[in-house]
Amino acid sequence: MINTTILSYVTFVYFAAFLFYLCMMIMNKETFGRLASIISFLGLLTHAFAIGLRWYESYELGIGHAPFSNLYESLIFFSWTVILLYLLVEWRTKNKTLGVFVTPLAFLAMAYASFSPSINSKIQPLIPALKSNWLIAHVITCFFGYAAFGLSFGLSLMYLIKQSKGAKNSNLFLRLIPKITVLDELNYQVVVIGFLMLTLGIITGSVWAHSAWGSYWSWDPKETWSLITWLVYALVLHSRMVRGWRGKRIAFLCIVGFSCVLFTYFGVNYLAGLHSYAKS
Amino acid sequence: MVERVTKPNPIWKTFSSVKLAIVLLILIAITSVLGTFIPQREEAFDFARKLSPTTFHFFQALHLFDMYHATWFRVLIGLLALNLVVCSIDRFPTTWRRFSAQPRPDRTKLFQDLSPEQSFEAKVSGDWLLKAIEAYLNAHYKRVHKALSSGQAFFYGEKGRFSHFGVYLVHLSILVIILGALIGSFFGFEAYVNILEGDQVHTALLRGRALPIDLGFSVRCNDFRVAFYDNGAPKEYRSDLSFLVNGKVVKSAILLVNHPVRFRGITFYQSSYGSVAGDTAKIRLVKKASKLEATSMTVKVGQKNTLPHQEGTFEITQIKENFMRMGPAVLVSVDSRDGNRYRFWVFQHCETIMQRFPGIFQQFPKLNPSSFEPYTFFLDEIESRYYTGLQLSKDPGVSVVWAGCFLMIGGLFVTFFTSHRRIWIRVSEQKGVAKISVAGMANKNPVGLERELYGLTKALQEKLKGEAQ
Repeated sequence: MINTTILSYVTFVYFAAFLFYLCMMIMNKETFGRLASIISFLGLLTHAFAIGLRWYESYELGIGHAPFSNLYESLIFFSWTVILLYLLVEWRTKNKTLGVFVTPLAFLAMAYASFSPSINSKIQPLIPALKSNWLIAHVITCFFGYAAFGLSFGLSLMYLIKQSKGAKNSNLFLRLIPKITVLDELNYQVVVIGFLMLTLGIITGSVWAHSAWGSYWSWDPKETWSLITWLVYALVLHSRMVRGWRGKRIAFLCIVGFSCVLFTYFGVNYLAGLHSYAKS
Repeated sequence: MVERVTKPNPIWKTFSSVKLAIVLLILIAITSVLGTFIPQREEAFDFARKLSPTTFHFFQALHLFDMYHATWFRVLIGLLALNLVVCSIDRFPTTWRRFSAQPRPDRTKLFQDLSPEQSFEAKVSGDWLLKAIEAYLNAHYKRVHKALSSGQAFFYGEKGRFSHFGVYLVHLSILVIILGALIGSFFGFEAYVNILEGDQVHTALLRGRALPIDLGFSVRCNDFRVAFYDNGAPKEYRSDLSFLVNGKVVKSAILLVNHPVRFRGITFYQSSYGSVAGDTAKIRLVKKASKLEATSMTVKVGQKNTLPHQEGTFEITQIKENFMRMGPAVLVSVDSRDGNRYRFWVFQHCETIMQRFPGIFQQFPKLNPSSFEPYTFFLDEIESRYYTGLQLSKDPGVSVVWAGCFLMIGGLFVTFFTSHRRIWIRVSEQKGVAKISVAGMANKNPVGLERELYGLTKALQEKLKGEAQ
């Protein structure tokens, strides 16, 4: 299939973008940053085209459905949402340093999807449980949530690195990273987006489960882990808004939160449950 | 009226603390993890069998095989709900004050250290200027009022004061969802039933308790079909159901996965399917003497058949889908002419069984298809019947849960994307030149406030310039 070939090339595009962001930070040259942004943007467009093409090709095969139905397709979409959200943040904040921390998430997800032998990249027909209009709403909201939490993870790492070196340090690599207070504020904003999206994702998921599995909540491991993730980010928001926590503790909690996201996404596949189609 | 105790009650104090909320959130998160690693409910049996008796009793005592329905877990959620209610009541007066407070327009402290972008000068003066500003504020802000003092005029306006209630909406939504879940667990049920094609049932088994409940009507499965894709993956499970009341069909419907059917408050879901042995089998009789002589016939359970050369009669007394884990088999009973009875099992997959267990048929006459000489019985096929596995559920709390979800989304939007912005404008005139300054406060989103103040200053400047000409 052409779409999988294009998508496997996109992996390298994002890797190139990462290298350019890295060069920008090490050499402190604006040109590299601008190139990195252009490469990421072109990657995003190609990526979107390939997803659209996959959608179209599924109809050509007579088993048409939105390309959100298995692990391969979800990884591809996750990586796309990460880059899309990142570029939006870059455009709003006019700072490109987050790119170094976030593009690896995108290219690792792409590489895992495209080159892991255990992942089937074929377009598969939808099994009865997945034949629902809620599929699209559920997957899109969840993955925008995951992507926002991915950005929050990147921002938290930046915060911890920048903070540990002290504000006055003029380390080449750290020079371009914004002030820690800016990082903290930005982190809060992406967590809010992620939290809202995860809430919508859990709600659309339970509406769907209500019609597919007969119950809006069955304590399936994936459901439970998404609730755990939701609780962790609820904790982040409360400790920040009510108890006034800032900085290091929030950054640490966000990293815990993102590990819960990863477990909800991948770890749960090793446990038995109803979400088994997301495994391969 | 009883006088309020001034010293806060220690229990009240505990439950009104965010610290408790944080501890409870962490506890619920950590304990929830357990249930994702320990198989729950129906899946628990195999796991439980592998445990040592001590571990098993420990798990059992803590209800770890159904922990999300255990009392201790419900207590945790109940405490969180109580914490939410108390926190909300405790903080509400403060919120209400913030919501309803009417700050004085003439505050001067706010205007110290203004950024230069927040003030400008206009060559207009007098009542006209004040009216223009007031008109602009009235059009864009709420609760606008002004104050005049010693050559200065002050205005106050605000927007988004309902943003203070966003958090209450979110917390209320959680309580509504918990209420919906409670309604479901008290007044709802979940049950299962398998219906053979052509059969009808009027009871179903309650989940977890295996108690039959009477539905008050009957369900008939007219037809069940399963379709597969070319790659072998299932494409569709489809049950054709009829609902009967007093023997009369009241409703007929096609039930698919993702398309439940509702009848009299009970929702039916396509949950599983399977097949059981029917009551007929295809039998082939081969007589040893003449290899060519084989007779095939379709035999019903309990029906007597005569052997091809009147050596006696035979019947099938049992049909098993999977006998001794060796596949389909039938129990044949032969009554010979001389009055002897031979009873033996005939397997469908005779040859495979012989390869796996050489000599098994010679060793156990009860399993030998050639027990009645000179015939050998062969089982070609047993008829199987499909059954559809239905899940039934009644949950009057669902609509309450959905209402809670809507409330939560609305509440989150109000909480995160609106803010109570209060703005003050000061106009001071000196020698026909008016200096206009804009200041403001917000309960959250300082960046948004800054943008708002900047925009307001610009807009006023434009308006005054435009009208002065």
